Amino acid sequence: MTPPRLEHPFGQLIDRDAPVTFEFEGETVQGYEGDNVASALIGQGRWLISRSFKYHRPRGPLSLAGHDANTLIQTPTAANRLAEDLPALEQGAVSGQNYWGSLKTDYYAVLDRLGRFMPVGFYYRAFFKPRGVWRFWEKVIRNAAGLGVANLEVAPRYTDKQYLFCDVAIIGAGPAGLNAALTAAAGGAEVLLIDEQVRLGGALTYHRFTLEDDIRAQTLEALSNAVANHDKIRVLTDATCNAWFSDHYLPVFQGDRLYKVRATTCVLATGSSEQPVVFRNNDLPGVILCSALERLLMHHGVCPGGSAVILAGNDNAYLTAITATEAGLPIAAVVDLRPAPDDPTLIAALNERSIALYPNATVYEAHSDKSGLQLGAVTIHSIKSQGHVDAPILRVECQLLAMSAGYMPAYQLACHGGAKLAYHDDKSEFTLTQLPAGMLIAGSVNSVHNFNAVCADGRNAGRGALRALSLQTDSDETVYCEDKVNHPWPIFKHPKGREFVDFDEDLQIKDIINSARLGYRDIQLVKRYSTVGMGPSQGRHSALTTARLIANATERTVTETGVTTARPPVKPESLGVLAGRRFHPIRKTPMDERHRSLGAHMIPAGSWRRPAFYGEPQNRAACIAAEAQAVRTGVGMIDVSTLGGIELRGPDAAEFMNRVYTYGFLKQPVGKTRYAVLTNEQGVIIDDGVAARLADDHFYVTATTTGAAQVYSEMLRWNAQWRLDLDIAQVTSAFSAINVAGPFSRDVLEQAGCDIDLSAQGFPYLACREGLVAGIPARLMRVGFVGELGFELHVPSLLAQSLWDRLMSAGEPFNIKPFGVEAQRLLRLEKGHIIIGQDTDGMSHPGEIGLTWAINRKKPFFVGRRSVDILMSQPLKRQLVGFTLSPAAPKPEEGHLVLRDGDIVGTVTSCEYSPTLDKIIGLAYVHPADTQPGSQVTIRTAQGVCVQAPIATLPFYDPDTTRQQL
Amino acid sequence: MTTGLVSPKRCADSHGDRHNDGLKLHDLSLATRSGVRGVKASEWLIAQSLHQELKTHELQPPELQPNTLVELPGSRLLMALSTREFWLLEPETEAQASPIPSGHCAPGVWPLYNQNSHAWLVLSGEPRAEMMAKLCGVDLRIEAFPVGTVAQTQMALASVVIAHHLWRDEAVFSLFVDQSLADFAWEALQDAMEEFNSVQ
Repeated sequence: MTPPRLEHPFGQLIDRDAPVTFEFEGETVQGYEGDNVASALIGQGRWLISRSFKYHRPRGPLSLAGHDANTLIQTPTAANRLAEDLPALEQGAVSGQNYWGSLKTDYYAVLDRLGRFMPVGFYYRAFFKPRGVWRFWEKVIRNAAGLGVANLEVAPRYTDKQYLFCDVAIIGAGPAGLNAALTAAAGGAEVLLIDEQVRLGGALTYHRFTLEDDIRAQTLEALSNAVANHDKIRVLTDATCNAWFSDHYLPVFQGDRLYKVRATTCVLATGSSEQPVVFRNNDLPGVILCSALERLLMHHGVCPGGSAVILAGNDNAYLTAITATEAGLPIAAVVDLRPAPDDPTLIAALNERSIALYPNATVYEAHSDKSGLQLGAVTIHSIKSQGHVDAPILRVECQLLAMSAGYMPAYQLACHGGAKLAYHDDKSEFTLTQLPAGMLIAGSVNSVHNFNAVCADGRNAGRGALRALSLQTDSDETVYCEDKVNHPWPIFKHPKGREFVDFDEDLQIKDIINSARLGYRDIQLVKRYSTVGMGPSQGRHSALTTARLIANATERTVTETGVTTARPPVKPESLGVLAGRRFHPIRKTPMDERHRSLGAHMIPAGSWRRPAFYGEPQNRAACIAAEAQAVRTGVGMIDVSTLGGIELRGPDAAEFMNRVYTYGFLKQPVGKTRYAVLTNEQGVIIDDGVAARLADDHFYVTATTTGAAQVYSEMLRWNAQWRLDLDIAQVTSAFSAINVAGPFSRDVLEQAGCDIDLSAQGFPYLACREGLVAGIPARLMRVGFVGELGFELHVPSLLAQSLWDRLMSAGEPFNIKPFGVEAQRLLRLEKGHIIIGQDTDGMSHPGEIGLTWAINRKKPFFVGRRSVDILMSQPLKRQLVGFTLSPAAPKPEEGHLVLRDGDIVGTVTSCEYSPTLDKIIGLAYVHPADTQPGSQVTIRTAQGVCVQAPIATLPFYDPDTTRQQL
Repeated sequence: MTTGLVSPKRCADSHGDRHNDGLKLHDLSLATRSGVRGVKASEWLIAQSLHQELKTHELQPPELQPNTLVELPGSRLLMALSTREFWLLEPETEAQASPIPSGHCAPGVWPLYNQNSHAWLVLSGEPRAEMMAKLCGVDLRIEAFPVGTVAQTQMALASVVIAHHLWRDEAVFSLFVDQSLADFAWEALQDAMEEFNSVQ
């Protein structure tokens, strides 16, 4: 049986023909499409939704706008979701949270009776002795004050981000926002209108602005239709603008998407937060804001059972009473904090409806019903003076109390931009000042409350936006609003306490005042000591009261006291949406597909993926050994496209090379390559490569896979100073490269077809040539990184896969075998070649790693020259050497320590078992006194096992370097 | 594959161009593109046959502002990435395997390797700017990024050159991404297109 709801015009958001059900605390709840969890629960007479943070007091909705933390509930996938933000349609099973036992019988509720022993900050003072005891109490306290349980098994949803661009971003689609949007769009601006509700209209959707309520519906329809049909207005509803950043950069959350809005100017029509009256037990379920009651009636058609009392601090609350009466809700009394309403006709309106009025009075205490979980009655007292009451007038049995003490501008976004809040004693309200350039505010956030004035203020904001865009517009309208909507002191301290200022953190009047008494006079310190305003509602309902209480306690004005700093986000946001889609740009070489089809085990190399070896991971060692064996005895080929490539072209190319790299390049012959080492200004080696001189004014230089971008960037930086006449081009992607290595590598190239003389005389070691290989234009370099006869072929990337295929075919008679990075590392280690970044660190200079031969001391300058000279004039503190171990010895790993007399003197940088040599071979930094071949060094391996490793002469393999020069 | 050229876009899940009623994604990586750069590139262009063609557009290369492009006869496009870097795009011409250009075109003018360094993807369809807003922070709406303009920016964390031009009588975005990132870019674009009901 679906619950009955009010007929039209109530319940505008629900579809009465679409009932929905969900589970709450194990019981089935029925509602309608358009309901949220909170409205559906109240529709079935259930006000209790959650338990409070500290005292575990029963809590129900307060604002029904998603602006408070009273309805935090647990869903199967997430904790701390607001019941009023969760559509009933999409829910499976939800429950309250922060209780021990059941929501109705929470054993932790005993803490409410022990509250006097738990004043603000008690744990700061109670649990710091003896030392370390906090670790125990922290768990207890966090468990008692828990906020739901994160479900770590939930698969992450698809979340993403999108930029939105507009001339004017208008946040808030109430009457002010709608008018601003239409005005700005009419003036030619592209408008983005953002609202957190599902429907346009803001307060127009639920609040009557006049007794007759004769303008609301038609105004709403007219404005909404005009906006919806305007092609220059884009609307985002159910979307929250969570921050304002410089230059009107606005993060807007809508569902699982984060919009990053770039606006030229923005209008804040964010409205204001209705304020509660502070009295004893003002947190009982059933005590709500007037706007919440209006939302229940007008949006969801829910007429709560029993009778209601209205506690008014302004005339708007009277209008709430009228609306409730029209909905059939019995109003037992209107209690006005003031001597009389500003509009005297409201008294007559109450009289016509036989509603009792108690002026100059307040609800001094709310009482629970027999269950202790819901409002049952209120006690009304007349007001004697500010914050003080006389004897009780009467006790009224009621199940609902709707209150309105006034409004606080929704100031957060403006304050993100540096706006300030100033308090006006004559109206007892804060207003926003010092707005950042290009930001406009309109409506109640601008302290304009009268309906006509709100609309005019919105239109003026639209005009202001047009002016900011240098678009034509007419002159502003006069905005006049003298409405007083805030009561100056809706705060009534009770001897028994429990008058809540901050519902999120269970803070009472005494907690705030005691903070000041303890010396925390500054509002920021009060916040940090008491935690006021630090809950999910971020002070929306506590900032004004706190400012008043602290001002009073410290004998300052409210303006002097101020409010705490508002920082993003405005509302809680999920990390998943913040993260958005995960972009991981992974670079592939043109041969990537070939590697995978050959069964390569791919590993990351910077942003690239490279084959580690070809074969099953469980056969890793055998695969690597076989690949190495092929290179040593036959022929192999490896994709080295990830090597950086930089072209230096121009008359000053040689001069530039000579300044950048440590070696001499001015006299490098055309057709020759040279090893190129790069040091930084601190003399540390940062990269290496091979420089091929293709013409007098043309060098082609390789760089390491991970260092290419930095080398290119450094080159650009240096030439920005030197202004040499050359072009520096990053060509890493333009060229792809294949290294064919092994005794039969020349045969493979000849088999493939090559128009270059490949003989040792015609194309000697360290030479470079340009020609055709298998009909493909290529740059060839005879380099020997792996220590065998080898040719490195650099070809245009679009042709690289074709070259790979043709070389594989040409190599078939020679049993050519592709080899991966692991075999390459082993082979180069056998040859004693270092890898920058693996065998060097952020301190390595050429002297430490045996590269003094690559330093040209005769040339006047290279980058880092001065530092290199200084470093190399100092006694060495460590040196990179080779070591060997028997195959049976514990194998050191990279990073293992080298010890000398118990002190750490270095680390192992590379270490592999060499099948060719049948030894464990490695490179390590050792003490300079231990570098002579035959010396022994101590290496601490896994599990602390130390091995004595003899120092070996490098290279381990082919010491005469005959094989690569074949 | 008679030319031996292989497009860098080789996503295993793609069987040709992706398209729907609103968006189409094409791979033009095997179409011809070339370019020059250098301090005298602009003057060199004037000296080439492009001179007359540009004159018909009442444009001289020095007037071709950075980050703009113009159409040339023969369905060609001339794109200026700076005052000293120009790309010639020929979307209707199949690229050929040609010798690696090594020498300068003229003193101070160097050929570019953009045929091989960049993949060329083309996005067409009305909601292309809205879709690209999921991947790129530049305002690509027609008002801010009209036909004839170029943006050098990032798309899904990868560097990209985006050119807005006409192709086969339709306004399109040409996207030039590093060829090693072609697959990544293609997949990122496909994913972003999904919400526009892209189907194969």
